[in-house]
Amino acid sequence: MKVINAIYQFLVGDMIILTGIIIAIIILFLIEYLPLLSSLRVAMGPILIVTVLLVLAATLSREAFSKR
Amino acid sequence: MQWAIATAAFLASAVEFVEALTIVLVVGVTINWRSSLVGAFAAALTLVVIVGTLGVALVQYVPIVVLRLIVGIVLVLFGLKWLKKAILRYSGLKALHDEEAIFEEKMAELRGRGESTTQLQPFGVALSYKSVLLEGLEVAFIVITFGSNITTNGGIGGIASAAIGATIAGILVIGAGVLVRAPLKRVPENTLKFIVGIMLTSFGTFWAGEGFGYNWPLSDAFILILVALYLVASFILVTWLKQVKQHQTEVIAAHKDAMVTTEQEGVRS
Repeated sequence: MKVINAIYQFLVGDMIILTGIIIAIIILFLIEYLPLLSSLRVAMGPILIVTVLLVLAATLSREAFSKR
Repeated sequence: MQWAIATAAFLASAVEFVEALTIVLVVGVTINWRSSLVGAFAAALTLVVIVGTLGVALVQYVPIVVLRLIVGIVLVLFGLKWLKKAILRYSGLKALHDEEAIFEEKMAELRGRGESTTQLQPFGVALSYKSVLLEGLEVAFIVITFGSNITTNGGIGGIASAAIGATIAGILVIGAGVLVRAPLKRVPENTLKFIVGIMLTSFGTFWAGEGFGYNWPLSDAFILILVALYLVASFILVTWLKQVKQHQTEVIAAHKDAMVTTEQEGVRS
């Protein structure tokens, strides 16, 4: 458990960032490999960018409002 | 000598070298040069072993797409972590853990005294290593794919010509890196960390997208658009957080005033 925690702290140390990026990877993976979602492949880049920005805004919001 | 191949390899490799150098420079300036160079040299050594062992078969055995995806995701994670800290500092909302604050204060103190921390930082070594390894592999791919498409009768072959082009690009880019090293030291610490966060997130997004097979418009030049996009978004976030901080300060001040008034009224009665 200590090793996992050390890797987590080293890599990111923030649950919102980690969860958000994992969700983005899952979404992109599904778009890439599910024929049903193949029409969304052209939007993979913008989806990734928007997710990254949303994750950043979410983690900053938590920091800003948790201080209240 | 195949000039067309050498020139094409020079240009394509220069882009990859600049990308690797950017990360090596930011690690060197923000963490320390020892960690940055150890990571870069370890990656160069790994590249020598990989290229020496596999030779031109490298293209078949190294899953460059998977590597791009993994490095991209890790860079996005690192980048967002740094960007978050830098934005919080710019807006006046500090969100550092005590241990990190102590460590960073110590680093700042050492820098203030003109000393530098030469202790190896795993974070810096890993960042430098991964970036140089990925970009180095891409250069090797460029040399092999560009060079192996040409068959020659005597003289310097296609791969050798591509390798010469890539080597010249490497020397020029590293030389430029040495020149910009000194001016970078004068940039304030939080600004540097902010730039690092922007660069890591931009490169990470780009490589992760490529790892998923997405073809970015304008190819590698799209990294500049990503940088601009994240810069604009960060400035908007800093402005918003400053307003939040100001509002919080006003609420606390009003609350304190109310407390004092209540106490004074209690004393009078």
